[in-house]
Amino acid sequence: MDTAPSNPLPPCPVGPDSLIAIKRQQTNPARWNGANWAAFAVALRAAEVELLESLAACGAFATDAGGTAYGMPHGVVIARDARQISNLLKTAQEHGVPVTVRGGGLTTEGESVAFGGVLLDMTGMSRVKSIDAAALTVRTECGIFWHSLAEELRREGLDYLSAPLNLTSTVGGSLNVGGIDVNSPRLGCSADQAVALQVVTPTGDIVECSETERADLFQRVILGYGQFGVITEATLKVRRYTPLRMHYFYYSSLRTAVEDLQILDRNDASDYSGILTIMDSAVNLLVAFDSDEREAAFNAKWRARLRGHGEFGFALRAIPRYALRPWKWPEALYLWQRKRQLFPEFRRPEYLRDGLMHDRTVVFSRAVWKFWGSRQMVIPDLATSAEKFIKAVERGNAVCRKYFPYYTLYCVGIKLRGDHKPHYEMSCIPPDATGWAYGCEFEPVMDRVYSRDHLQSFKNEIYDIGVNLGASYYRFGGMMKGYIRRALGDEVVDRHLAMKRKADPAMILNRDVIF
Amino acid sequence: MRNVDVIIVGASLSAAAAAKRLTDAGLETVVLERKSLPRHKICSGILSPRGHRFLIENFGPLPREALHEPTSCRGVTFHFPSMVSMSMDFFGGTTPHLHRKYSDHWAIKQSRAEVHDETSFAALEDRGDHVLVHARKNGEPVEYRARYVIGADGPSSLVTRAVYPDYPKQIPWFFVGQKFHDIIDCPLDQQYFHFWFHPDLGHYTWSHARDGRQIVGVGFKRGDNFAAKHANVVNYLSEKHGVKLKEHTDDEGCAENFGPSLINRYVFGKGNVLITGQAAGFLNMIGEGMSCALHSGAISGEAIVEARLRNRPVQELYRRMIASEVRRTTDQWNPLKIAFDRPHEADFPAALMALSWRERTKVLRDMWRFVVLYKEFKWGRQILRAALQRPLLGGYSMQPWR
Repeated sequence: MDTAPSNPLPPCPVGPDSLIAIKRQQTNPARWNGANWAAFAVALRAAEVELLESLAACGAFATDAGGTAYGMPHGVVIARDARQISNLLKTAQEHGVPVTVRGGGLTTEGESVAFGGVLLDMTGMSRVKSIDAAALTVRTECGIFWHSLAEELRREGLDYLSAPLNLTSTVGGSLNVGGIDVNSPRLGCSADQAVALQVVTPTGDIVECSETERADLFQRVILGYGQFGVITEATLKVRRYTPLRMHYFYYSSLRTAVEDLQILDRNDASDYSGILTIMDSAVNLLVAFDSDEREAAFNAKWRARLRGHGEFGFALRAIPRYALRPWKWPEALYLWQRKRQLFPEFRRPEYLRDGLMHDRTVVFSRAVWKFWGSRQMVIPDLATSAEKFIKAVERGNAVCRKYFPYYTLYCVGIKLRGDHKPHYEMSCIPPDATGWAYGCEFEPVMDRVYSRDHLQSFKNEIYDIGVNLGASYYRFGGMMKGYIRRALGDEVVDRHLAMKRKADPAMILNRDVIF
Repeated sequence: MRNVDVIIVGASLSAAAAAKRLTDAGLETVVLERKSLPRHKICSGILSPRGHRFLIENFGPLPREALHEPTSCRGVTFHFPSMVSMSMDFFGGTTPHLHRKYSDHWAIKQSRAEVHDETSFAALEDRGDHVLVHARKNGEPVEYRARYVIGADGPSSLVTRAVYPDYPKQIPWFFVGQKFHDIIDCPLDQQYFHFWFHPDLGHYTWSHARDGRQIVGVGFKRGDNFAAKHANVVNYLSEKHGVKLKEHTDDEGCAENFGPSLINRYVFGKGNVLITGQAAGFLNMIGEGMSCALHSGAISGEAIVEARLRNRPVQELYRRMIASEVRRTTDQWNPLKIAFDRPHEADFPAALMALSWRERTKVLRDMWRFVVLYKEFKWGRQILRAALQRPLLGGYSMQPWR
């Protein structure tokens, strides 16, 4: 007996589309062939743009934080001002040379890696231009790291609204991809705080845009993945600095913790909230407040309704759970060791005084690098509507369990602004989200080295959940090009592609990131 | 003497994958190939979908000249002595039928590494902070000084012999030969790769169509007679499957190392010399070695990039990183994985369940008889040990690796 299946053959049985179940594609595309490079280099230097072509200069940008994609640019330009970038883009348009823009290089799928062409390093533009304490705005160059901006703002008694936890990202990079923080449930993503931008378009025009001036460009550039221009300066909303009053609640169930997080967000019960876990074994709901009044209101109305426990209560419940499961003792030991290392870091006396956390910027950023960071950042994520979020977290958690012994989940809500709907189209914000979107980062503890294939397979399984649930990916700097059409649909992508072709005729700016 | 970052010995798919990783990271890489490129390579050419994906992702769409006719293969068909046949489509879709002469040349060119063909590797000296590589080009000696060396020169690897002179004596060797026949009548479906679990035919018996001819191949323990073994298979195909073929017009064969993947005894090199691909022992079940060669080759390149970035010993990193590929490859031979999971790229359990109870019994009995053929190699305990390690350790022990 012959049990031959009878599926029809694809039109091209050896083409990329013939890969039915294997969706991963082009993590490491072919290098640009270098056509016209010599003429371009001469023209660029004639336009007084310094171009570095040494192996050392190019090699410094060979990979991004994700560490799974490597590529060498033909040359590097360090950003100095908008005029220089304008000259670069005009010359690149003329010669058809790709330009890849890089901020902190914290992308995870090679989006800020130049596979040939020019790499534009924006960190050369890192000055704060002006701070208006009365209007609560700051004008800054966009290659500045968030921690440097925070430092400047603190001198004036001010603070940013929302920035990525990893503060070695740049302001420009975050405006392009999203950026979230534990105050995003109240204040939205980092990109939402931009009031006005100076942008160099792909054809080299230097333009100012905002909600009222060239609004169409403003909408495309914010959360635009660098497709419609290079953001050189931004005016951001800021706020008065306040220390934080922190509370921690511990859960043994992801579902319960996520439900409580969403209750807090829906009812505006806290100023900051988020979930950080050690695997799915110790789930920490972090709640914080800017004022005694808000804290008191929380204590009076919401604290008793939360199903989490204090540190001691959680430990009491965990002991019998592990005592009855000897095969889980190594995990219990890891939890205990992790607690011993991690907790003091959040309570260092130089940052915690009278129960108030000062410099959350430093505390969180330090902890991120010390306990979750490594030379390689492998952080796929999912962004969903509130309704789908628990399912996404649980499925992603199962994938983490399959690939890594130890990992962390970081969950946070993102308040959506109705007036920013045009920004959100084809962005990290899932189209079906209303009120809040929710994001979860899946972060393996990189205590050992893994092959790129292993890491990429892990990320693909997480991304597949997103496609399956109709979700998006909130860092989006970390979403693979191959997933964008499947996540957002051909209609939206083709419409944006048409706009991109119009704005960037030679398709030179950040090619291969989305289109 | 040429001074480079990395020398890769061999210009096959694993070499191309390693070279791609290295040149992407800006490392000066030279590939040494003893033959003139493009060179002939003995191979069935049936790549797994996972390998197909790797080629597309890393080197781009395949050029037509890199493919034989039929250009693709949709799956495998297992044939058993009880005359039950099971066809299984690959999960990942159809996969290319590679013309290794041109596909390997295309891949190595796409890697952008510098290729020195007609240059035979002769010996190496690991000096701690660099490796001296001695080679010959047109009979003249040439020397290279490299920070690292990757041996990607196939099962009879000269680099492996240079690092482990006693290794070839420690593993059983097989001979795998194939003959090309013009077809009179062949009822075997051309869209599938056909494999026989038949102990009387050989340790590895297969047939598939290529460029209007039919390949009949057989693998056996080295020392046996190829002509007799092959004639036996041709007669069997004629009698049992109605395959009528003319006398063969071409034949070829090579030595193969089937054992290391099966019993987790890979060789990965010493010091600054890494061994990868089939030279290290990677071979998927049904003898497909290209996909694991591509992935392991890439990992050897990644390990060197990481070693430079982290300033750590390359062997330590390579062995940690290669663990994922060892899991994928050795899982395919692991009886527990085969019984309770889906380690292959085609669904054997589903095809088995599609059979009647009676046929299932026959298939399992035939497979057992086939496995008994390998009894003389005394791999049973090692297979069992590896199979048990998998659920207990979450992977395979690094201890048996060299």
